[in-house]
Amino acid sequence: MHYQGDSWGFYMPMRSMGSDPMERVVKLASESAVVIFSVSSCCMCHAVKRLFCGMGVNPTVYELDQDPRGKEMERALMRLLGNSQSVPVVFIGGKLIGAMDQVMASHINGTLVPLLKEAGALWL
Amino acid sequence: MANHRVGETGLTDSGPSSHHHHHIPYAVLHGMNVPASFIHQEGSAFDFGELEEAIVLQGVKIRNDEAQAPLFTTGRPAATLEMFPSWPMRFQQIEIGSSKSGGESTDSGSAVNTLSSKTENQLEPESPVSKKASSSDHQAFDQKPMQQQLLEMASDISRTGTSQNQSAAKPPQEKRRGSTSEKQLDAKTLRRLAQNREAARKSRLRKKAYVQQLESSRIKLTQLEQDLQRARSEGLFLGGCAGAVGNISSGAATFDMEYARWLEDDQRHMLELRTGLQAQLSDSDLRTIVDSYISHYDEIFRLKGMAAKSDIFHLITGMWTTPAERCFLWMGGFRPSELIKMLISQLEPLTEQQVIGIYRLQHSSQQAEEALTQGHEQLQQSLIDTIAGGPVFDGMQQMAVALGKLANLEGFVRQADNLRQQTLHQLPRILTTRQAARCFLMIGEYYARLRALSSVWISRPRETLISDDHSCQTTTDLQMVQPSQNHFSNF
Repeated sequence: MHYQGDSWGFYMPMRSMGSDPMERVVKLASESAVVIFSVSSCCMCHAVKRLFCGMGVNPTVYELDQDPRGKEMERALMRLLGNSQSVPVVFIGGKLIGAMDQVMASHINGTLVPLLKEAGALWL
Repeated sequence: MANHRVGETGLTDSGPSSHHHHHIPYAVLHGMNVPASFIHQEGSAFDFGELEEAIVLQGVKIRNDEAQAPLFTTGRPAATLEMFPSWPMRFQQIEIGSSKSGGESTDSGSAVNTLSSKTENQLEPESPVSKKASSSDHQAFDQKPMQQQLLEMASDISRTGTSQNQSAAKPPQEKRRGSTSEKQLDAKTLRRLAQNREAARKSRLRKKAYVQQLESSRIKLTQLEQDLQRARSEGLFLGGCAGAVGNISSGAATFDMEYARWLEDDQRHMLELRTGLQAQLSDSDLRTIVDSYISHYDEIFRLKGMAAKSDIFHLITGMWTTPAERCFLWMGGFRPSELIKMLISQLEPLTEQQVIGIYRLQHSSQQAEEALTQGHEQLQQSLIDTIAGGPVFDGMQQMAVALGKLANLEGFVRQADNLRQQTLHQLPRILTTRQAARCFLMIGEYYARLRALSSVWISRPRETLISDDHSCQTTTDLQMVQPSQNHFSNF
């Protein structure tokens, strides 16, 4: 698991990250096999992280409470999912999986593991 | 002999002959069920007293009505019965041999139909009049004083009647004798009869009133439930304290009620599954039953979701379940991987594909459970830190933070229920329809047994445990084996 903090913005100063936080979310999501948007104090986020680690996956985690534009992104994520909770939100292979609900459902009905393999996050 | 003829034909030609045979039991002429044997049994001890009453009463009434018009025709049995409104109830009871309520709410028309339909063929082994005594406890009447009274009167008349059976006719004599007792009978007997009728009517009215009360209470109850649902959806019970009854919050009480109803439905579904499997239904029919069982579980998860908003502690501590279930509680319900483990051994034979599918399901469930447990533990730790507070305890602030953290509990129970729901939905995808039906039946039965175990445990005798450590323990267990079998007999 590796964390991307607010230093991201420094490495790409010329790139227009867009005033649109949603754009940023999508951008970040497409850059790793497994992306989790989280808040450090959120226990459900902790649960979802533990789930992927328990499966042997190495997800990329963005702690939005440690990001200067985190608040906007949280709001964007809430709008995207229509949830009252902004986090956790999981992307696999750039594709939106959803919140904890959808991740668990996908794991139980057997679609999560193939997705992970497809995205190259799992080798078995 | 004229007697015998009338006795054997019963209803049929009672019209013109009635006047000459009024010393014969009128029950026969009126089409009531009196066996022919009774006519020959005058003088024998068998239920003669009861028969005498019948004769007396009939005789009294006939004499009263003789002046008016011949009423004893087959075409008008209703009029006859109406003379003794108290009697048809008893006869109806005997003929139908059914519930007591049938006796109380008399429809003289139906009584007539019953009697006229049965007199043709059947001869009751016992006189209906003799049954008056046996059925008296069913009625609101006080029979005994009347009977005793009648017996005294009857004995006079019967003696006259007996003698008259031998000679063809001594109507005037009988009339004279009859008139003396007739007056006495009129006064007391009729009053008694009227009192009995009154008592019966009153008890009928009371019953009606009670039933109406029950109905209105039922309507009120459903209205209250609806109000409760509406108010809850409007968030009035979020505080949990509003309208708390004793130690249980209203949200919890509502859920307990809904859960009790769900358990009743569960039994119904299990019966459906059981009979469906035994009847060897087609796959599509069985599939319908399986799907309805899944929807049944979807319903309880929906109800738990609502209850989680109003009283999360009630759910997560398992206060809505039985003690034995609570023992195995995980996040406010059953642990899916444990359930699958239980099922695996009983689902054989399985194809290789199915085995893989089931084990995969168990494995993913375990991983998900582990993840949720760890998240939950982190929440608990965070709460402990907040409540313990730092070196400076800022009460209100800390409380507010703690409250915020507690709110996350709802999310965990919801995710746990979600996991349970997904697991149940996944099972029929792996199994055949028949296997799935068996599987759900096993699940239902398993939890039913667990609940039964709880009640047996609670009701076990405890006194013997005090004296001896081990031997008494075993005795208690042995004693409890018998009653527990009853609990399992349904399964």
